[in-house]
Amino acid sequence: MKPTTISPLSLKRVLALPPQLRSRTFSILNRPPPNYAGHVPLTLVERGALALGSAFGSLRNPHRHDLIAALGEATAKPYFVSRLRRAMLENPTGRRILKDQPRISSQTMSLEKLRQLPDNTVGRAYAAWLDREGVTPDTRDAVKYIDDPEEAYVMQRYRETHDFTHAITGLPVIIEGELAIKAFEFANTVLPMTALSLVAVVRLKPIERKRFFETYLPWALSNGLKAEEVVNVYWEEELATDVDVLRRRLGIEKPPDLREIRQVLKDQKKAEKAAREARERLGAATGV
Amino acid sequence: MPSPALLKRLLALPPSLRRSFWSSSATAAPAGKPDIYDVVCVGGGPAGLSFVSALQSHPATRALKVALIDSQDLTTSRTANDAEKYSNRCSSLTPSSLRFLEGIGAWEKAREERTQAYHAMDVWDGVSGSKIHFDMVDKQSHGVLDSIAEMVPGSRFQASRRKYETSAEDGVVATMCENSNLTAALLQRLKDFGAGEQLAQVQMWDKTKVDSIDLGPEAVDEKSLDLSQWPIVTTQHGQIAARLLVGADGANSPVRQFAGIPSHGWDYNQHGLVATLHLDHPFTASELRTAYQRFLPTGPIALLPLPDNKASLVWSTNPQHAARLKQLSPSDFTATVNAAFRLMPVDINYMLTPSASNQAEEFAWREPATPASSTGLPSPFPRITGVQEGTVASFPLRMRHADTYTGHRLALIGDAAHTIHPLAGQGLNLGLADAEALATQLAYGMEHGMDIGSCWCLDGYNSERWAANNAMIGVVDKLKKVYSAGSGPVVWGRSLGLEVIDRLGAVKGAFMGAAAGTR
Repeated sequence: MKPTTISPLSLKRVLALPPQLRSRTFSILNRPPPNYAGHVPLTLVERGALALGSAFGSLRNPHRHDLIAALGEATAKPYFVSRLRRAMLENPTGRRILKDQPRISSQTMSLEKLRQLPDNTVGRAYAAWLDREGVTPDTRDAVKYIDDPEEAYVMQRYRETHDFTHAITGLPVIIEGELAIKAFEFANTVLPMTALSLVAVVRLKPIERKRFFETYLPWALSNGLKAEEVVNVYWEEELATDVDVLRRRLGIEKPPDLREIRQVLKDQKKAEKAAREARERLGAATGV
Repeated sequence: MPSPALLKRLLALPPSLRRSFWSSSATAAPAGKPDIYDVVCVGGGPAGLSFVSALQSHPATRALKVALIDSQDLTTSRTANDAEKYSNRCSSLTPSSLRFLEGIGAWEKAREERTQAYHAMDVWDGVSGSKIHFDMVDKQSHGVLDSIAEMVPGSRFQASRRKYETSAEDGVVATMCENSNLTAALLQRLKDFGAGEQLAQVQMWDKTKVDSIDLGPEAVDEKSLDLSQWPIVTTQHGQIAARLLVGADGANSPVRQFAGIPSHGWDYNQHGLVATLHLDHPFTASELRTAYQRFLPTGPIALLPLPDNKASLVWSTNPQHAARLKQLSPSDFTATVNAAFRLMPVDINYMLTPSASNQAEEFAWREPATPASSTGLPSPFPRITGVQEGTVASFPLRMRHADTYTGHRLALIGDAAHTIHPLAGQGLNLGLADAEALATQLAYGMEHGMDIGSCWCLDGYNSERWAANNAMIGVVDKLKKVYSAGSGPVVWGRSLGLEVIDRLGAVKGAFMGAAAGTR
C-alpha cells in the first residue's frame, strides 16, 4: 500500500529529530517495528476507534468475521488475554501448547484422515461439523493488533480452537448457536469480545430469544464456569479421543441439539399449518 | 571483722553505698556461694558482643564486672580467609549501625575487603511491575522548597548541592557484612580491651551451656547476702549471680523464659532461603553497587551485593518451594533464581512444582517470551551464573515481640526481644540499636549512682526501644501482608502507592531515613 498522507516536508521534520525522539513520535507517520510477522502496532486512540468501529460493524453484519476478530483483539488488552496466557502457563498442557505453538490449518489437519477416524471421536466430530457447516480450518484470520507475540499466539489459538468448541458441543454456526458458544466462551475465557458479541441477541426472533435465555444461556454460563480452561486442550493430541470422554474430562454437559429442536419446531409448525389449511379447505368445501 | 572505728565510718555512709560495700566484700566469699557479677550477658552473637564492647568503651561502665556466656566456640575466627568463599549469613548494616560499631571501635577490626557498601536500591512489584528506586540523592533532598529552588533560572542551588553531595562522605544506603566477620571483629575488639590499657574485665565463657537460671537463696543469717531477687546462672563453671542479667540469647531465649516475659506474634508460614551467588561480571571496590528486591506473591526475593562478583540471596517463600529449591541441582537452582527475578510469578510457581524438572531449560524458553518492560526488571540487572557450593539453607520466618524488654535485674536485647521478617533487612540493626541503647542507659545509671539492675535504671531502655521496634516490626509485617496479594485491588493500590512515592523525592527520603535508623 502506498502511504498517501505523508508529505515530504513532515517526513523530513520527523527525520530531523534526534533518534530517541524519533522513535517516540509514534504516529501514523512513524510506527514502531512489528514485534512479529503481521503485527500492526496501534496507539491507544487507534485501538479505541478500532474497537468501536468493529463493534458496530459486526453488529450490522454478523457475518463479517474480520470485524469480530478485530473487536476481539482491540478489547483483549489490558488484562484479559494476559489472564488467558496465565491460565495456560499454570497448566502443564497449556505450557506445552505455548512452547510448541501449534497452528491449525488444512495443512496441519488432514480432513481426509479425520473422516476415517472412528465414530464419535473428536477428530471425526470436527470433520463432520466442518462438512455440515461448510467451513474449513483456514477460515480464521491471523492476529495482528496484539503487541506481545505470545499473547498474540494465545489469541490465535483461541480463535483456531473455536471450531473444536463447536464440534464437541455440537452447536451450529447459525447466530443462535454462535451466541450460545460465545456465552460459553465468555464464562470460560473471560475475553470481552465474547461478551460483547452477546449484544447480537437483539437480532434473534422472539421465539429464538426466549429459547436462548431459557435453555442455552444457563447451559453456557454454568458449563463455562464449571469446565476446565478449554484453551488448555491440546486438540491435535485429542483427535482420536472419544467426544464424551473429553467432555466429561473437561466437565462440559452436552447441550440440547439446536438443529433438532429447530427441526422439530419447524415440523410442528408445518404440521399445524397443514392442519389449519386442511381445516380451512374443509370449511370452504362445507360452507361453514 | 572490721574495727569499731571503721564500722562507725561505714555506718555513716548512705545506705546504697553501705550495701555495695557489703556486696563487694561478699564477692570474696568462699566457694559454694555464687560469684557476683555486675552484668551477665547470655549469648555472644552480634547483639551481645556489641553490647559488651559498648560497656567496655564507655568510661562510666568500663569498670563493671562483666561475664559473657555462649554455648558456641567464640575463640576461633569464623571468617573464611578464602576471598572466593562467602558465608551465606550476611546482614546489611545501616549507616546508624555502622556509626555505633565505629564508635565502639569494632568496625576497624572488621575485614573491610569482605564487606560491600551499596549506594542504591531497586524494589519492584512482581505482579504489576511498578517500581521504586532509592539512592542518596533522595535522602538529601529536603522537600518541596528545594525543588522550587532548583527550578529558579540562574540558581546556583544545584551546583552547591552537588558539592554537598560529593562532600557527604559516602552516599551509602547500607553495608553488607558477613555475620561471622562482624562477630570476629567484635571479639577482636574485646580481646584488645583485655590486652590493652585495662585489666581483662570481661569473663568470657564460651562453649558453655546455661544449665539453669534461678533466683538465689534467701539470707540465712544477717551476714550473708539476700539473693532471693537476684538471677543466679548455673553453668559448668559454677554459679554466678547477676546484678543485671542480659538476654541476648536469640529467639528461643532461656533468659526471657526465666523472666516469664510473654512474646507475642505469629509464624509467617514462610521460609527464608539464603545462598551465596556468583554474578556474570566482577565489580571493583570503587564501583557503585545496587541492591535489588522483588516482591513476589509467595514472598520477597532480594539480591544483595558482596565484593567482586559475589552476591547474597535472601528469598522468602513458602516452605514447599524452599524445600524444592534445596533439592535442585546447582544449574537448576541458578536458573530458578534468575527466573524469580525475571519471569512472571506463574512461571516461577510452575518451575517449583514437585513435578517440574529441568528448570534451566524452562528458563531458557520463558526468558525471551517475557519482556523486561512487562515485569519491571531494572535495566542493569546482573545475571546470576552460579551458586557457591553448600550455601543454600533456609529457616522459618516468624514475627515475635516481647511484651517488655526489662524485668527486675533483667534486660532483653536483639532476637531475644523481637523477631522480624527479613524483607527490610532490619533484624540485626534493631539488635545493635538495642545494644547501644542499653549500654547508654547503663552508663547513665552509673553516672547517676543507680543500681543498674533496678527498674529505675532499665525503664529508660525499655521506653526508648520498645515503641521504636514495635513500629518497625509493624510496618514490615504490614508490608509483607500487602505484598502477599497476587491480584485484585490490593495490587492496584500498592502499585499506585509505589509509583506515587517514587515520584516524591522528599517522602522517599523520609522512608530511607527511617529504614537507615536515623533519629
